[in-house]
Amino acid sequence: MSLSTQQLSVGYHQKAIVKHIDLNLPEGKIIALLGPNGCGKSTLLKALARLLTPMQGEVQWQGKALHKIPSKQLARQIALLPQTQPIPEGIKVKDLVAYGRSPYTGFWGRTNQADQEIIHQVMQETGISELAEQLVSELSGGQRQRVWLAMTLAQDTPYLLLDEPTTYMDLNHQVELMHLLRRLNQQGKTIITVLHDINQAARYCDHLIVMKEGHIIQQGLPTDVLTRELLKSVFSLEAQIHQDPIAKTPMCVVE
Amino acid sequence: MLLISWLSLFTWSSITISPLDALQALYQFDQDSIAQHIVRDLRLPRVLVALLVGACLAAAGVIMQGLTLNPLASPSVLGVNAGAALGMALVSTITPWFGLLGTTMAAMIGGGLAWSLVMLLGSGWRTGNEQGRLVLAGVAISALCAALTKALVIIEEDQASAVITWLAGSLTDARWQTFDAFWPVAVVGLLGASLLSPSLNLLQLGDDNARNLGVSIGFVKLIGSFLVLLLVGASLGAVGSISFVGLLVPHMAKLLIGQDHRRFLPIAILLGASLVALADTLSRAIIFPMETPAGAILALIGAPFFIYMVRKKTL
Repeated sequence: MSLSTQQLSVGYHQKAIVKHIDLNLPEGKIIALLGPNGCGKSTLLKALARLLTPMQGEVQWQGKALHKIPSKQLARQIALLPQTQPIPEGIKVKDLVAYGRSPYTGFWGRTNQADQEIIHQVMQETGISELAEQLVSELSGGQRQRVWLAMTLAQDTPYLLLDEPTTYMDLNHQVELMHLLRRLNQQGKTIITVLHDINQAARYCDHLIVMKEGHIIQQGLPTDVLTRELLKSVFSLEAQIHQDPIAKTPMCVVE
Repeated sequence: MLLISWLSLFTWSSITISPLDALQALYQFDQDSIAQHIVRDLRLPRVLVALLVGACLAAAGVIMQGLTLNPLASPSVLGVNAGAALGMALVSTITPWFGLLGTTMAAMIGGGLAWSLVMLLGSGWRTGNEQGRLVLAGVAISALCAALTKALVIIEEDQASAVITWLAGSLTDARWQTFDAFWPVAVVGLLGASLLSPSLNLLQLGDDNARNLGVSIGFVKLIGSFLVLLLVGASLGAVGSISFVGLLVPHMAKLLIGQDHRRFLPIAILLGASLVALADTLSRAIIFPMETPAGAILALIGAPFFIYMVRKKTL
């Protein structure tokens, strides 16, 4: 297990939002973090990417506490796409994506040929090549989200952490994104993503982790995790579980 | 183009020497050597100090704006100038105790304390939110320091004129020894600023993204603050309180070059240097036999440009 937590408690202003979590994040999978608003899934994700310092316990990367790993080195292993992103002034799309290469570039931050190839490739994958010369601040919310995603992908890390990446996106881009995540996963990346849409998670992810009030309630394969009882206890939702007619994955239909 | 403007500054200052032909005419004996003496012993160090002061203050402004993500961040707005002035005033009035410290050190310590206080009060280390608070804290601390400085000046009247000259910011007293004490610190500060610029770029994306991209935020902020104190303390110690350069020049450079710190920092340094040298030249030219403080000239140049920028786009 490359990324794991031991008795992890983390939160804001002395108040723990994630409470005593022991978790192993299986390598090579697409993992979804699910749960109602405020359950701590985003907080957990931030702690996994060392953006939050644990109050108790720790996050370990290959058996080593995160805070003991030099930041630049860790930035080549774990990348996070936060949920809300600032709107940077006067930065071109291609320059923002190029910042994703910072963990690899030298002191002056100059990109070389190999960096440029990766930048070019991730811009194609996220469908923003034609926006390269535009200012990030002039794009629509969905386009901007894809630019930030491209920057995160340019980091080229084995672990990719995404916090509700499909927010602000049109439906077709959401589907494209989930397919892109599949492709990246087949190339060997471990993907951990917070998702709001349970059906999206069930359809595209290998492993679901369901949280409520800072604790992990259930985890495993979508077919095992998604049950009537779970939806009722975690989301207070009366719903039936059917089989997705195309992907054959579980699909919940609200009563 | 900037190189030419930079070079032209030398010629400018030697042109303002030409009214000195009148003086030379008065001292007719040995006229050549006196003109040369003036240029070599007075003008040259003065121009060099002006250039360095401009460069340092511009770089300090770039770092402060880069660290706080606040477009108004600059030595004068965030209390560094006022704090340094207070430090200076303390040194020059309560001599026996504080006199051991040099004026530069006093300026650095005063500025550093004032700035730390502003950052604490205005929660300036948490980037992104509550930008107004930081500026408010800066204004408040500046006012407090200014009041204390005035009080000291009134209490110790015999030292008052030195402090007041210093507050106005003038290069009149810049000599070779000023330059000799100044340039090593300035060079260290400017080099440090350039090395910091890639990290400043990433900080503009917010703390989360910067950390995610491998920036040690605490380290960058610590080094950045230290460099600011070095740059500002050295400049203020050399020539006194000069405002507007740190606030304005980074915006001018961004307007010309774009938002990449690696590219606009050198431009800001050149612009700042040119601007202060120009202001100093004008300070001799405006009311010729008398000198207008360069700080006042800078405010005269700076204010219209600032209004223009505020009108043109939201900072």
